[in-house]
Amino acid sequence: MKVKEVMTTRVETIDGESTVFDAIERMIEKRIRSLVVKFPGEDVPDGIITARDIVFRVIAQKRNLREVKVSDVASRPLITTEQGASLSDVAKLMEESGVERVFIRDNNEIIGVVALLDIMAGTLIMRARGRNVI
Amino acid sequence: MLFNKFFSRGKKEERVLEKIRSHIELLCKACEMFRQALEEGNSGSMRKISDLEREADGIKRKIISGIYDGAFLPYLRPDLCRFIENVDDVFDLLEDTAFSSMNIYLPGKIRDECFRIAFLNQRMCEMLLITFDAMVKGDDLREKVLAIRIYEKKIDDMKFGVLCDLRELSIDNYWHGKTLSDFVAGLTTISDIIEDASDHLQIIHLSMR
Repeated sequence: MKVKEVMTTRVETIDGESTVFDAIERMIEKRIRSLVVKFPGEDVPDGIITARDIVFRVIAQKRNLREVKVSDVASRPLITTEQGASLSDVAKLMEESGVERVFIRDNNEIIGVVALLDIMAGTLIMRARGRNVI
Repeated sequence: MLFNKFFSRGKKEERVLEKIRSHIELLCKACEMFRQALEEGNSGSMRKISDLEREADGIKRKIISGIYDGAFLPYLRPDLCRFIENVDDVFDLLEDTAFSSMNIYLPGKIRDECFRIAFLNQRMCEMLLITFDAMVKGDDLREKVLAIRIYEKKIDDMKFGVLCDLRELSIDNYWHGKTLSDFVAGLTTISDIIEDASDHLQIIHLSMR
């Protein structure tokens, strides 16, 4: 099974100069756990900010949500793969990179994201169809 | 196996099982046709969904008649009939949604998501057929039913996003807005009914243990 079949296509972005409060607001409103961080005008790759980053790096350390910038807690670079990758390719990439989400690109455009739960779901679907994933 | 004893293959049972299978196969075909027609914007193919729905109606009547003509033990019949009604409800909804799709323009923002939902609906139907086959063989349904639930949850998540996007659209014509809303409601409800159908298969399976 290709990741294209299980990925989430709704990928939201946020400007690196926005505050963490803006990021939380966007995540809650859209019911998502991560945002792609853009750095317009800078020659740097996209990053990612997750609910985990916000809780561990900002809230747990009692930093001010309205003062901390997204770029201060975002992780870089974004881990990406091609849309034709298999579930096992992505699982391996997650393990090697120590990330829970891999973004799917079509050439240079981000078209989706695959999380740990998507890998598990895809694996179960393949088993139910009577096919091996790995 | 106990399953085979209750689901014993007399000629009547065999005929009904074959018809139920062809009913679900037809649903798979209809969902595939719907997805392709939606992606290609092909109204001609979309109209053919109604023909498939009529064909399915005929099969449904034969199945119900077969069941009440003495196929299967009486306590199994209501659940079997409810399963058939669920599949029939999917056909009805698919036909309505196909009709709505011919009268709307899908804005770019929700277009791709609708294509994906139609694709996942098709996958769910295929999984329903796999689940039915497994039930007839007396195999364990747990993994199959879970796969159907996974698809349903995925579509449910996507539905939320599509509804958010819909609310941001400016609608200047009442009928266009209503038809678009009906289309999205139909497209995202199909998975709920398929999930209900798979639940009934599991009930039938459990009641024969």
